[in-house]
Amino acid sequence: MPSNVADAVERARSAMAALRSLGEQVADEWQYVSDLEAGWGERLASVAAARGGEVLTPAAAAAIERAAAETALIADPHRAIDWLSTFPQVVLFALDEPG
Amino acid sequence: MRFQDAAVDARAVVYAGIQADRLVARAADLLADASSGQRLLARAVMNGESGDPEAWRVTFPGLFAGTAASDDRDRSDAILALSLDVAGRGEQVRSQFRGAIVEALTARLLARRVPAGAVHRERRILFDGVRAEIHPYDVTVELPERAEGYDCKWGARGIGPDVLLQLEAARGHAEAEGSRLLVALVMFDARRSCRIRLARQTAPLAGVRLVTLETLDALGRSKAAPSPAVR
Repeated sequence: MPSNVADAVERARSAMAALRSLGEQVADEWQYVSDLEAGWGERLASVAAARGGEVLTPAAAAAIERAAAETALIADPHRAIDWLSTFPQVVLFALDEPG
Repeated sequence: MRFQDAAVDARAVVYAGIQADRLVARAADLLADASSGQRLLARAVMNGESGDPEAWRVTFPGLFAGTAASDDRDRSDAILALSLDVAGRGEQVRSQFRGAIVEALTARLLARRVPAGAVHRERRILFDGVRAEIHPYDVTVELPERAEGYDCKWGARGIGPDVLLQLEAARGHAEAEGSRLLVALVMFDARRSCRIRLARQTAPLAGVRLVTLETLDALGRSKAAPSPAVR
């Protein structure tokens, strides 16, 4: 379970990399998948840079862990693309950050 | 510029059944009054795999916390239950429901700003001397002095050159004949994802507005405009 914001962002980016890898199987969307990971990754990195050492509340830590666990349930490449655009929003919401 | 009901083909008949489903109407009612967090909950659950409501309560603790107002908590519970219902259907049906929900939500929100009778679904927009587009607009606002055309999508991935070209062409034709037509994409997705998608599009987009998960309420506000232009 992530303990601070930097850990949470690292956990999230790791989950996003797995989604990207799965989503890339949709050949026509390779560029979009890559752009999504980069664009949302940049936003998450900016949060880590600003608040990295901040300790997470138990509820926020559990929310991010659970959201990351949801990505592990995704087996379909098309669903992975949907989740790659949704999951970072969920993480940011748990961190009380705008998208 | 004039409007016409879309042709009723086999696809339209099947889709009309989904549009008329009570679940779609219930979703639109709930989401019209939802917070942006509750709308994100709906998006996540309807995109997700888990059918366990408790898992989603853990994912969105603030929406279900004892400290949340009871009305808000009730709404979150209702949105969660409904979203799980949609998510539990087969992939194709889930996709159709999600699209129909965005359209119905758009119509609900627009009806807060203009008379409900001015809001229409599945309409084509015709211009003198211009070959009509085959694909109808998901939602239109038809007023004597001006009109609005909306293409509604569940996710940014649905944005492509065809839809952008159709929206921009309609706006251009209206302008050429001196009519007022606002055209917009309504996306049940984050602005950032939409921007990322649009950044690779080469279609001319100057007059196409963008409404996203964060700005849906602008559809119902009195100063006509869904927020900023696509670019």
